[in-house]
Amino acid sequence: MKRLLISVVAILAALTASAQISLGEKGGVISGSIESNNIVYFNDKALSTPAPDTHFGSNDYIKVDYAIDRFSAGIQVETYLPALQGYEIGNYGLGKMHDFKVLIPQVYAQWQDKSYSVTVGNIFDQFGNGLIFRTFEDRQLGFNNGMLGLRATANIGDYVAIKALYGRPRLYTSYKTGWAGGADLSLSLGDMFGFKQGALFVEGSYTNRYEKIGATTAQNLLNMYSARVNFDMAGFTLRGEYVGKGKDFTTSTEGHKGQAVYGEVGYANGGFSFTAMGRMLDRMVTPLTIDGAGTGNTLNYLPALTRQYTYMLANLNPYQVNAEGELGGQADFYYSYRSKSNRYRYWNFHLNYSTYYTLRKSQAKSGNHELLWQDINFDVERQWSKKLKTTFLYSFQEWNPYHGYHHRTYVSNIFVADVQYKFDRKKSLRVEAQYMLSGEYEGDWVAGLVEFNLAPRWSFFVSDMYNHGRTDKNGIYKGTKKNYYSVGGSYTIKRTRIQLSYGRNRAGFICSGGVCRYSPEYNGINIAVTSSF
Amino acid sequence: MKKLFCLILALVAVISVSAQQLPDVKVENIDGKELSVRELTGKPLIICYWSITCKPCIQELMTILDQIEDWKAEADFEVIAVSVDDARLKATAKAKANVFKDSFICLFDANQALKRAMNVSLTPQSFVVDSKGNIVYSHTGYTPGSEQELIDKVIKIYKKK
Repeated sequence: MKRLLISVVAILAALTASAQISLGEKGGVISGSIESNNIVYFNDKALSTPAPDTHFGSNDYIKVDYAIDRFSAGIQVETYLPALQGYEIGNYGLGKMHDFKVLIPQVYAQWQDKSYSVTVGNIFDQFGNGLIFRTFEDRQLGFNNGMLGLRATANIGDYVAIKALYGRPRLYTSYKTGWAGGADLSLSLGDMFGFKQGALFVEGSYTNRYEKIGATTAQNLLNMYSARVNFDMAGFTLRGEYVGKGKDFTTSTEGHKGQAVYGEVGYANGGFSFTAMGRMLDRMVTPLTIDGAGTGNTLNYLPALTRQYTYMLANLNPYQVNAEGELGGQADFYYSYRSKSNRYRYWNFHLNYSTYYTLRKSQAKSGNHELLWQDINFDVERQWSKKLKTTFLYSFQEWNPYHGYHHRTYVSNIFVADVQYKFDRKKSLRVEAQYMLSGEYEGDWVAGLVEFNLAPRWSFFVSDMYNHGRTDKNGIYKGTKKNYYSVGGSYTIKRTRIQLSYGRNRAGFICSGGVCRYSPEYNGINIAVTSSF
Repeated sequence: MKKLFCLILALVAVISVSAQQLPDVKVENIDGKELSVRELTGKPLIICYWSITCKPCIQELMTILDQIEDWKAEADFEVIAVSVDDARLKATAKAKANVFKDSFICLFDANQALKRAMNVSLTPQSFVVDSKGNIVYSHTGYTPGSEQELIDKVIKIYKKK
């Protein structure tokens, strides 16, 4: 009851955050945000996962910042009352999934001058593409590996940018006992040599992680480095990164060296743009600590470089990166044509292809390079008039459920039609119809969504996703015949948004920024409040 | 600990400062060069946060793009589109931004430093900033038609000048 009460107080606090106290011109500025995600769980006979004992979960965040002139400081408090089901932070701390947790893990103070800055406290940063270092927070994943330590940056004109940091990375509810740190250098050769037509950067980074694992320094200290080049000119882009990783004894007792290569080429002109990127990952899993688990136990950022969809069925089986060994890439084409006589009429065309294979033959039982994933997709968006817009999407997805070990893939064909109609300046309706055609795994799916918006405050939706399965050529039925329905609405006033929904949610991977977390199925009421000031 | 939490909640409930300023945070422009958002003040600004996977964000930007010529006839201002796509999707976001880069100032906040500093929890979130860098209005979420609130605020502060 107390937990529910505190959550209600959090929501009320967010709703009533309207009284204003000015600190005056010389008193500085206070700003902040509140986010509260709550689910009341129900038992559902159609689901194999029972509701948690508490029948309630709540992940809440309060952040308050203060800034005056070049100085700023802040604090973030998090509460898990207890953690929402499926969030890995629920497994940490006091050792039980349903523990009530209040954490004050984040504080910082920063001095930001014109050519240098110093930060003490929690640090979020990234070197290059994040292949050797990234600390960040993702609340959708329940993920925060922000480092408690010291960070300094310096710039010499437009020519040189350098930063260095050191500290203890966060693993869910605590800071690990080891240390991590590094430095990053960026040289703008374009500015140095007066090359005004474009930009040319040569960059390099070094990261280390120290943790008492064995008897020798070689076992305890991990070194990683990266070399990069970035070039931009007249719409043309070229980027490359090479990463070398020393022996890592957190992933295997014998310790393996790792490496990664990333390349990107792009061209944009008028309404046309093209981007292609390729990446090789070889034993690049780099945990924060040997004693941790979960998606949050990572020092680097290795996202899946594939298209991330906003449609339910296209996201049913997302690609999960194989950081131990994969080779692949993706390409994107965009073309946009806007009518010169009527700006409200345009066409957008988008074509995307991604494919990944196992890197080493030893990763597969067959002794070959096995396909992990491929997706060929295109979408056409047409704004017919001020009132009507339509989108059609097709995606062919093929994925290996055994991460390449067995020579076996599942194929899906996904079709989406999305129509939006604006009745007047305030009222609009959006309808989605989706179908997945698949002879494998759970067979066919059908899904639909209707959304009605009353700008600028209200939005209502109802959606359903139904697995009606399929009988294969051998007469075997594959499917669950389950409905995953949801109904809800949201109210927005300035910077406060309240969303209330009820539904049955399918088990699967929740992906954000290319990182995926497994979420169990549940039936429940979801209340989410976000506000900032 | 619970008391402390409730105390902070209570403080948050009553303290809110109207004249929040644009933070001094560096982000990347479409050419890959770093700049501070404060360098962009001088005119009223509409700042829209977006990402390639946020459908309403792109819808908001495309609607503003439809109307920007009409809006600019009423007030002199700039639109800043801040992508919060990380290393995974930054290249795709840049390709998408090509559609509106001639009308908007495109910024890329790949590790979300600006997003954190401006306390943006959800996208889309849009701000109206006056010519001195004071944030005078903000709105979370996008529903077709809510873009009108942004231009109404810009015209109001433009006429006050």
